[in-house]
Amino acid sequence: MTEPKKLTPLQVVILLVALILSLFPIFWIVMTAIKPPTDWNASPAIWIPSEPTMINFRTLFDPDAIRAYGVGGVSQAATSAVIGSIIASVTATFISVTIGLFSAIGISRYAKNSKWTPLIILSGRMFIPAAIAVPFVIIFSNIGLTDTYTGLIAIYVAITLPFSTWMLKSFVDDLPREIEEAAMIDGRSRLMAHLTVTIPLIKGGLFATTMFIFILNWSEFLFALVLSYSNINTIPVQLAKYVTATAGTLYGVQAALAVLAMLPLIIIGFYIQGHLARGMTFGAIKQ
Amino acid sequence: MTKNEGSPKIRAGAKQEPGLTKKVDKKKDGKGISRYMTLPGLLVSLLVLVIPLLVALYMSFTDWSPTRGGLLESNWIGFENYTELLYWDNRFVHAVVRTLMISATCLALEFSLGLGLAVLFLREFPGKSILFSAFLTPMMVLPVVVGYIFWMLFQSNGPVNQILEIVLGAEAAVQWFRSPNHAVFAVIITEVWHWTPLFFLILLSGLKSIPENPIRAAIILGASPGQVFWRVVIPMLKPVIIVAFVIRGMEVIKLFDEVFMLTRGGPGSSTETISLYIYKLAFNDFQLAYAAAAAFLVLIGSLTLIHFMLLPVRDRLLEGNR
Repeated sequence: MTEPKKLTPLQVVILLVALILSLFPIFWIVMTAIKPPTDWNASPAIWIPSEPTMINFRTLFDPDAIRAYGVGGVSQAATSAVIGSIIASVTATFISVTIGLFSAIGISRYAKNSKWTPLIILSGRMFIPAAIAVPFVIIFSNIGLTDTYTGLIAIYVAITLPFSTWMLKSFVDDLPREIEEAAMIDGRSRLMAHLTVTIPLIKGGLFATTMFIFILNWSEFLFALVLSYSNINTIPVQLAKYVTATAGTLYGVQAALAVLAMLPLIIIGFYIQGHLARGMTFGAIKQ
Repeated sequence: MTKNEGSPKIRAGAKQEPGLTKKVDKKKDGKGISRYMTLPGLLVSLLVLVIPLLVALYMSFTDWSPTRGGLLESNWIGFENYTELLYWDNRFVHAVVRTLMISATCLALEFSLGLGLAVLFLREFPGKSILFSAFLTPMMVLPVVVGYIFWMLFQSNGPVNQILEIVLGAEAAVQWFRSPNHAVFAVIITEVWHWTPLFFLILLSGLKSIPENPIRAAIILGASPGQVFWRVVIPMLKPVIIVAFVIRGMEVIKLFDEVFMLTRGGPGSSTETISLYIYKLAFNDFQLAYAAAAAFLVLIGSLTLIHFMLLPVRDRLLEGNR
């Protein structure tokens, strides 16, 4: 673009308003999470609690404290949800990135894979999850996979595979293939060349992709909702339960869980900020 | 900023010379198992693609419900589910139209706001990188949490109404989730807050990679800043704009999590999206065969829609270091 110009006062105001609008909702949930129960649903709403407290975070993991609020349906502490989210997201991310990595190298390096394979893999992203959930729940209940982590992880792998494949493919594409060919001249097989040369060289991209896929898995809600009954649980499902029970009674506790859920994602997000555009656009835009 | 600076690389349409590609291709498709590295990914995708479609298709011609047990213990009822869905079920048709309208509105708003902010980021100002990170934050929040946050903000005693009362007077407060129009508005605001950052991010990458020479030339030829923007910058940004719309378009028609937390489709069915409608049919009313018919139509419809949306960007996505 042309020489950078300074901002006009009006533009400064626009940016400040945009900044406030971007951060206010996050400010609100953090404030709600540290409100004592009397402030949760005060009318008019209290913006900044006079006596900030961590009690909501403690209640979250204390079944007795949750029950003490006497809200039907939410007698369960969030512990199982946090553990469930970690099990499902970490395992699914690992599997999705591993399969994606091999697909990515295969697509990028072997011509016969380069036309239809990537599009077939991408089409997993074209389905509307709610629609695909109906046949999946039927199939899973017939083969005993509903309410199991195996079933949930299988779905997570399937729905994040387009992202992991395409994002990694864009990193492999950036790498000149002469590097691998040099390794092959040294007597290594193709597979060994990929394992010992390609993969170490895209380490940074592999890390960013892993984090990105983790964000997707950690955020997933719909499949966890329809596949979980009593054995499995995830944070998003637990969050939704608090609303079902009796709308809003557990405002502060729910907000505390929401803050715990989003904190890792915001940190990871900042960390891989430079790769977000690439991940979201399947590598069409590199940053 | 000079064009050689580390600005984001946008893939140009340039391809390798055909002769060269062919030679390399022949060489690289040698023997060895590494050619089959895509098999696991392909297998997973085909399983996800084909089996649910077939099961949904089969079920949609039956009257199966969970109480019947096995999938085969059901009656074949032909096209009954489909006629019901398309001719008698206003909720389904409304959900489809509503989803498309909400999607179009969100995309238009997110694009305009994102482009406006991205243009401001071409200027130099202190604190730019902090502001950049702050603007991206909404995108990182889980959709369910976004839904819950805005559910709180739009409560009748919540901060949105407080601000409206201060600015516009005591009558300005609104029961956001009691009236259909306001509820739809709340859904759109939520979605726009959540995803404007993605448009901002993509469009800013695009803007930064535009070469300066055409712009310089236009200025020298006497073009006004407005003309430069609309006649030079926007046309050059077009491929990036299309990518942004396709990527967001693919996701926004799936809209579920935020609406589930905000309104559950209410009041009545006034904020019911396609996803929410199918979810309610299948998992609240347990009309699974009927839901399967809706799911099948939606799957075919969305595949077709997204297929056409992808056409203009397909080559751009596929092209790599081949």
